[in-house]
Amino acid sequence: MDEIYSMMPQASSSSPRAARLRKTPTTSRDTLHTFPERGQPPRLKTPTLFPRSPSIGIRSNTSDTDHSEIIAPIPRKHMTIQRNESQHWLGSPPLSPVSTVSRALSPASSTFLDTANPRGLRRHTQSFSSLLEHDKPASGSIASSVPRARPPAENKNEETSPARRWARWIHKQGLKQLAIPLILLVSTLVRWCIGLGSYSGQGTPIMFGDYEAQRHWMELTIHLPFRQWYTYDLPYWGLDYPPLTAYVSWLCGIVGSWIDPTWFALYTSRGIETPGSKVYMRATVVFFDLLVYIPSVILFTHTWQSNRSSRTQHVALLTLLFQPALLLIDFGHFQYNSVMLGFTLLAIDLFAKGQDVLGAICFVLSLGFKQMALYYAPAIGSYLLAKCLCLGFVEGSRLFIRLAIVTSISFVILFLPWLPPFAPIPSILAPISRIFPFARGLFEDKVANFWCASNIVFKWRLWLSRDTLVKLSAVLTALGFFPSVTGLLYHGYQVGASEKLSKKETSSNAPPVPILPLLPYALLASSMSFFLFSFQVHEKTILVPLLPLTLLVSGSSPSSFTFQLGVLVNNVAVFSMWPLLQRDGLALQYFAVTLLWNRLIGYNPLKYKPGTLVHYIPLVIYAACFTLHVLETLIPPPARLPDIYPVLNVLISTPVFAFTWLWAIKRGIEVGWAIGGLGHAQASSPSSSSALAASRSKQSVDGQGANGSERAVKSAVEAAGLGLGAPSVDRAAGLRTRSLGYAQARRASSALRDPF
Amino acid sequence: MASSPTSRRASKEDKQAQGDEQNAKKVEKSGSFWPTWQSVRELWSDISPFEWDVLVASTCFKVLLFPSYRSTDFEVHRNWLAITHSLPISRWYYDTTSEWTLDYPPFFAYFEKVLSIPAYFIDPKIVDLNNLNYDSWSVIAYQRTTVILTELVLGAAVHRFIRGSTDPSMQKIISASLFLHPGFLIVDHIHFQYNGFMFGILLWSILMARNGNKLASGFLFAVLLNFKHIYMYLAPAYFIYLLRSFCLSPSGALLPSHFLSLANAVILVFLVSLGPFLLMGQLPQLLSRLFPFTRGLNHAYWAPNAWALVTAADRVLLKVAQQFHVEGLQINASGVASTSRGLVGDTVFAVLPNIKPIHTFIVTIAFQVVYLIKLWRTPTYKSFLTALTLCGYTSFMFGWHVHEKAILLVLVPLSLLAAENQAFFRTFTLASVAGVFSLFPLMFTPAETFVKVAYSLAWAFLVLPPISKRVYEFPRSLPFVILDTLERAYIAGFALLQLFVLAFPLFSRTKLQGIEDEKGGMAFLPLMLTSVYCAVGLVWAFVRLSVIYLRQM
Repeated sequence: MDEIYSMMPQASSSSPRAARLRKTPTTSRDTLHTFPERGQPPRLKTPTLFPRSPSIGIRSNTSDTDHSEIIAPIPRKHMTIQRNESQHWLGSPPLSPVSTVSRALSPASSTFLDTANPRGLRRHTQSFSSLLEHDKPASGSIASSVPRARPPAENKNEETSPARRWARWIHKQGLKQLAIPLILLVSTLVRWCIGLGSYSGQGTPIMFGDYEAQRHWMELTIHLPFRQWYTYDLPYWGLDYPPLTAYVSWLCGIVGSWIDPTWFALYTSRGIETPGSKVYMRATVVFFDLLVYIPSVILFTHTWQSNRSSRTQHVALLTLLFQPALLLIDFGHFQYNSVMLGFTLLAIDLFAKGQDVLGAICFVLSLGFKQMALYYAPAIGSYLLAKCLCLGFVEGSRLFIRLAIVTSISFVILFLPWLPPFAPIPSILAPISRIFPFARGLFEDKVANFWCASNIVFKWRLWLSRDTLVKLSAVLTALGFFPSVTGLLYHGYQVGASEKLSKKETSSNAPPVPILPLLPYALLASSMSFFLFSFQVHEKTILVPLLPLTLLVSGSSPSSFTFQLGVLVNNVAVFSMWPLLQRDGLALQYFAVTLLWNRLIGYNPLKYKPGTLVHYIPLVIYAACFTLHVLETLIPPPARLPDIYPVLNVLISTPVFAFTWLWAIKRGIEVGWAIGGLGHAQASSPSSSSALAASRSKQSVDGQGANGSERAVKSAVEAAGLGLGAPSVDRAAGLRTRSLGYAQARRASSALRDPF
Repeated sequence: MASSPTSRRASKEDKQAQGDEQNAKKVEKSGSFWPTWQSVRELWSDISPFEWDVLVASTCFKVLLFPSYRSTDFEVHRNWLAITHSLPISRWYYDTTSEWTLDYPPFFAYFEKVLSIPAYFIDPKIVDLNNLNYDSWSVIAYQRTTVILTELVLGAAVHRFIRGSTDPSMQKIISASLFLHPGFLIVDHIHFQYNGFMFGILLWSILMARNGNKLASGFLFAVLLNFKHIYMYLAPAYFIYLLRSFCLSPSGALLPSHFLSLANAVILVFLVSLGPFLLMGQLPQLLSRLFPFTRGLNHAYWAPNAWALVTAADRVLLKVAQQFHVEGLQINASGVASTSRGLVGDTVFAVLPNIKPIHTFIVTIAFQVVYLIKLWRTPTYKSFLTALTLCGYTSFMFGWHVHEKAILLVLVPLSLLAAENQAFFRTFTLASVAGVFSLFPLMFTPAETFVKVAYSLAWAFLVLPPISKRVYEFPRSLPFVILDTLERAYIAGFALLQLFVLAFPLFSRTKLQGIEDEKGGMAFLPLMLTSVYCAVGLVWAFVRLSVIYLRQM
């Protein structure tokens, strides 16, 4: 890591130069020589270091004098220059003039798809250079003074989030190894403290709520044989989750009865509300969260963000672990969603590591825990299929067969107690019909999806029969995830084809899968289309689309659109569950946890000065949410419209979710385009020398259009510029590509290796 | 209006010379310490992002604790809201509708009176005198909110400590550690009291002493005494410090203007507080409420002080005596019953000579005199702070019927000294770990057990390692190496102790059934062990601090 850090100050200090170059591209050398006069103390930056071809100079010189200013600030600035170079060809300006850490979840998405128009870019670099000048005079000549010079600059632009500040602090204290244990400790503590509150159905006899359902399953699984699990007293919270939930319930029930048999006594324990049983139930949720979800999140930050500094990984970890919607539903309302989400996340992590078979098993476990994981199935399935296509006919079909066998076996094992050797064939119907309850209505309660929202004007249930509605919702859902699924398959096929072309030149040392960056967007689009259009959706199910979205947020910079949208959707999702949480008596927790998370990640919708009309939309949404809360406290609903507040809630939330769905599809296409385009470019124009690369890059800096070849060259230059020697080329390329499965840049860099 | 220049100048001065007497005069002349609108606004804009983070995060977390366990103190304070709201002032200290009669000084009663006004508008049942044990959501949310809001006094005080500190980055950690102290979390936000508020006043008073505004310091301490009289533990150090450094010139001559202004300020405070009751002739009644000398040496759960060790020794000796029938030991029959029960009431020793209140008083004074003589000779701010801590510590160690919560009187001023050097830091670590752990038995419900343990651990990991990195020194000689190892082992022992306390109920249910039935005292074992183990650490930290103070400063 030292090496990487050591490259960064050059990158940052040369950024203003890059900005000037952009303004006067013909006189690059002159600008270079005038540059130090702009308030840069020459003892730190001697002009002699600069006269080289600009793009190479940006990253190549690593002299000892410059090590002095390396220490603290660097990754942030490094990111900034990366943005400078890459933003020019896309549409919208950054939401805030200065970006701190800018890459989105994948380098593909940030290097090629983050957006800034030239004007925005200039603003950006100017403020960046002024920041730099602000830093420089104070920094002095010794390394240790640099960190001290930083805080004023930070306070000035107010970009850092508490999570970031904390991560920096703990690293500065040299307590890096304490960071993850502390995050785990504090996040578990917060989870537990949410659990001090009431739960779903507390003190509402006869049926109670989700808490009682889960407890009842523990009760029935430990007292009844397998065959009766899905048939016992169905009206009172009959088991309607897949077998893994049943097994987990059985385990919890066994351990619980060992502690206190009255908690799970058959029939007599119904509706038990002793403090002891509550603590035990809460503890099981926290336990399984610690067992499945938290490790998978940590693994995520290690695999998907392995090219980031550990500080950034810690920030991402905090972002993911304090996600309010999941905390409130699992630890407040009481459910075990984190297990299902954790298994899916584990599958995604394993896919990123290339362990497709293990990943598939994890996803089966996720499906086997809660059928809501089906919302991800189109994306996961098409990803695996695309991976097979990617690998070419022989390896691809081998992988396909292995996946098919392993998946089927896992399912069989899960459902074994209801299958032939142990039970007659018809008995499998009991769990299946319980798990997929088409007999229920189109939607329950008020849920912010298409059906419920449109039901206000168009009474679906009066006009269409249930069967028609089932079919209609199925068709709409399929249409909803169709683009992302076909996108994955198409790009898988395309990469497979170009792979064949380039097979001779690349030494394939197991490159990561290039279509991997598409996966989060596909997951988001697929799950959101299920949420919006499928049959029998609960408001809690919004947690399923929130997972991929929050993954994207955790990897994006606070000024990026992804971050802004992701946080907005997270907040709106919590808001959409307000009627539920309020009924559970979790109003206080709702506000506290949401505020905590927003503060933690440094999100403040009022902070960003809106430039265009588009930027007012989040403010309008927040204002609407706020107004609704205020109205609800002040004015009781009119007698004629008792559901007016939940309905208004739905009307506010649904458009946001629908927009997210469309955005996910759009981003999927963009990312896919970048992958496809690059593959093409790499085959057509392998750049042969750094000089050529530099000149092309200068063109591309001018910002006209963007075709595949320019991008390829640019990435090659970036890769080349990061280091001079061949090993460092490799390392630098790996820096930005390896973990995220972005193989193209890596291959481009290996193409460059020969001339060096 | 004049407060901001005061504090700014004071902070500069502080850098130049800690506790410099010459500067005090200027500052004192330059005006009041009282927070004006301008200073509040300045304070607001002066809060750094880090401080906002701490404030927001801790507030969110404390809000999550609203539904947690509440002790009877919650009902005590609700009852006081009702008393002060529905009765005339003349009845406040006479009312016995509830068993939780008003037994705090008048300022706290006024404070409850102020709090009861919004309470009435939120839910009139809160302030209904006969509505005993009212625990609806409204009263819980209201009272818990008042704790969070009044704790902002503490927040403001520790915030001002950072400004004008000689080492702001370290003071930042210490200030945050005070604001987030597990002691306050356990005692205020779960157990329910207003310590954060009152320690805020104490810290404000100490801050004024640091900034050289000693008149304000004395005034604030007088105010504090009238909020809660337990702060009398600290009064001797204040008295000596203010007398020596404010009322006398360095050469020893009396400065009449200083003396008179301080005396007037203090008398004024007491007049405002006690005046109404003095006029009504209720002072004896008030004092009898404040100082009920009818309780025993130890609390139900022995506060981890010297007497806990003595009591434990007595029990061990009793066991030994019973086992081996040692000749010459007089076994007090009532003592056998007393110690085995360990309930509220007069603790009577079975073997050792009994302790009377006057004994504890004499021991306490004797120790305090030693420190006060030292303080008289070196009346600097640092010396004052140490003597203040030691005064509180002595009272905690040897006082009559000390409450375990009183350990906060030691931990809070000691925190301010934590980053002085390795010796202070190690003392602080020992005292904090043992002191916070000794508060754990306040909460015995399983849900809160995890909260208190996890929170204290997180606090310790966030506060102790950074300070340790800054001040660490290798032990210089073999005895110090041994001592260092022993202290580390002692701290590690708390993990085992906690495991034992957690496992004991399960253990006792299965294995100790018979024994428990026979003696009926085994349920007391985890508490006794906790108390004795913490007492060992706290007594050692007390010895450490005394030696450091008397030898080093």
